[in-house]
Amino acid sequence: MENTVVKIDNLVKRYGELIALDHFSLEIKQGEVFGLLGPNGSGKTTTINCLLSLLAFDKGTIEIFGKPMSPTAYDIKKNIGVIMQNVAVFDELTVYENIDYFCGLYITDKAERRKYVEDAIKFVGLEDFTKFYPKKLSGGLLRRLNIACGIAHKPKLIILDEPTVAVDPQSRNRILEGIQELNRNGATIIYTSHYMEEVEQICSRIAIMDKGRKIAEGTKDELKRMIKNTETIIIEVAGLSDEIRAKAAALPHVYDTEYDGQKLTVYCSGGKHNLIRVLGVLQENDISFGRVFSELPTLNDVFLEITGKALRDKEE
Amino acid sequence: MFLHNLFYDLKTSLRTKDLIIWLMVFPLALGAFFKFAFDSIYEETTKFSTVDVAVVDEAGDKAFRAVADGMAASDEPLLNVTYADREEALELLKKEEVKGIIFTGDELTLSVGYSDIEQAVLKSFVEEYNLRIRMIERAAAQDPAAAMKAAALISEKVSAVNEEPLTDGNPDYMVQYFYNLLAMVAMFGIMNGLHITEINQANISALGARKSCSPSPKLVSICSALTAAYIIQTVCMVLSVTYLRFILRVDFGSSLPLIYLTSALGGTVGVSMGFLIGSISFLSQKAKESLTVAFSLLLCFFSGLMVENMKMNIEQHIPWFNRINPAAVISDSFYCLNIYSDYSRYSEKVLTMAAFTVFFALLGFVFTRRKKYASL
Repeated sequence: MENTVVKIDNLVKRYGELIALDHFSLEIKQGEVFGLLGPNGSGKTTTINCLLSLLAFDKGTIEIFGKPMSPTAYDIKKNIGVIMQNVAVFDELTVYENIDYFCGLYITDKAERRKYVEDAIKFVGLEDFTKFYPKKLSGGLLRRLNIACGIAHKPKLIILDEPTVAVDPQSRNRILEGIQELNRNGATIIYTSHYMEEVEQICSRIAIMDKGRKIAEGTKDELKRMIKNTETIIIEVAGLSDEIRAKAAALPHVYDTEYDGQKLTVYCSGGKHNLIRVLGVLQENDISFGRVFSELPTLNDVFLEITGKALRDKEE
Repeated sequence: MFLHNLFYDLKTSLRTKDLIIWLMVFPLALGAFFKFAFDSIYEETTKFSTVDVAVVDEAGDKAFRAVADGMAASDEPLLNVTYADREEALELLKKEEVKGIIFTGDELTLSVGYSDIEQAVLKSFVEEYNLRIRMIERAAAQDPAAAMKAAALISEKVSAVNEEPLTDGNPDYMVQYFYNLLAMVAMFGIMNGLHITEINQANISALGARKSCSPSPKLVSICSALTAAYIIQTVCMVLSVTYLRFILRVDFGSSLPLIYLTSALGGTVGVSMGFLIGSISFLSQKAKESLTVAFSLLLCFFSGLMVENMKMNIEQHIPWFNRINPAAVISDSFYCLNIYSDYSRYSEKVLTMAAFTVFFALLGFVFTRRKKYASL
């Protein structure tokens, strides 16, 4: 039977009138890569800060490794690695010194620590930069250093709060691969992000948050099954009449259509061969069309359908 | 854990450029500026040079000649005498080769071209000489033996004023500026203290948050950071005193070890004070930084760093403020060392500084012991 690593029960956190966490509950099992997904301000970071006993909360309980979490729960803390949203390293220390310093807060034996630090440097690929000061590192390398400082002591539970913000795609992929490797090595991971692609890529289970509440939880397939949409068909087509659009809308398994003068979007729920049927309607009516796309639902669609708004703002 | 933290706290402090500039470079530069400025003032106002004077001795006054020649031959001569006839003397005065002309006769008379400090010295000398001569003449009329004694003393009385120091210190008021400078460096320790809370409090910095997530107890982290700050501040104070004493050759008197002790203790007051300000949770870090700079400069201002008589004015009107102004207490400690021959007042100031250090640090601990924050 899987052990419960983190258990949050009925957590409430208020900032005056604003409810940041609204009776939030969660259970994370050992070996999971658990994703907390939600837009900015949904309560992800607040959850993490409460979990780490940095932030006081109004109601609820938090247990980690089966014990109540508190600021002085040092036996719990020594098994947790934290990678915060903001890079937290000393500008005055080199890459090696930074990792050694933070690792030294957990591992007191010098010889043992040296090995841990070298492993961490190798893990994040900073071998060529050990004597560099953080200011000399690029954004991606700096994020990697930030991660190395958080995982050098080889913790059992690793909490990553939006670790890929403002990171180039190459570094982002490397970070995501690294997280998966840490999980394969036995660490339980809590990963918060508002990038649904990342969460889909690495997380075995996901909780979607909005306005301090958990609005859905499950594997990505379970989450997608929660919604009506199973396929979205997009066809570039000009001069489409309302009559033809109505014919497409009347097809089996089609529950909605949109047309903006350039693109016809057809939303389907279940069924097979939906794309062939829609294209058949256009061909029967001698309507020429351009490119055709068929998309499976994303976590954004899940979020959109549950909350009525997109997971990310358009500019993001 | 403590030593690991201390090692890296020292390392980061020594590599923090802002801290080093304010604690080391700035005081050294300001000290050099003070020295340069005060030396010029001192030369112009206090250490006047030998006064060139022409003597027209038409009366053949042997007693005056003996006095004048004796003074001119001393190690630090007050007068540089040129004997001349009336026309030559007037010519020398016209060419400003002499500052005045002394005429012998029944009494000495003085002629000067214009009025300045050197002319004032000549005037004072002539008046003093005439006064002594009249005293001798009166004494001779009443008691010839007393007249001989007075005559023997005349050149000494007229030529010099002997300084009789009350302590081994240097009571020169210019030194007070250097004491205030040291007090200011000590007060800059506030920034050093502020840095402690910045890197240890989760609601102030990401570093503080990361450290708070570790199994290192907060008390250990803060104790090591505070120890590192005390060490750095003490080193800065010792360097400042050494630089002022041995490079700029500022005369701190013979109590140099106590000057070092006072400086070090003053530095710890500054660090503890910064730690206390940093631990005030309702202020933002920017507000705290602005507050510390303004606060330290204000305290230094009230201790007389910028205005010479400020501390005296405060002593007259609100004396209690001088007792609680750490900058004033620090500079007073130096002052006591140099002015008072016993150490009772100095000891009182040292104890006050020690009390400030402990009180501020303890209060800071009380404020930072908060384990969870209402917001981050």
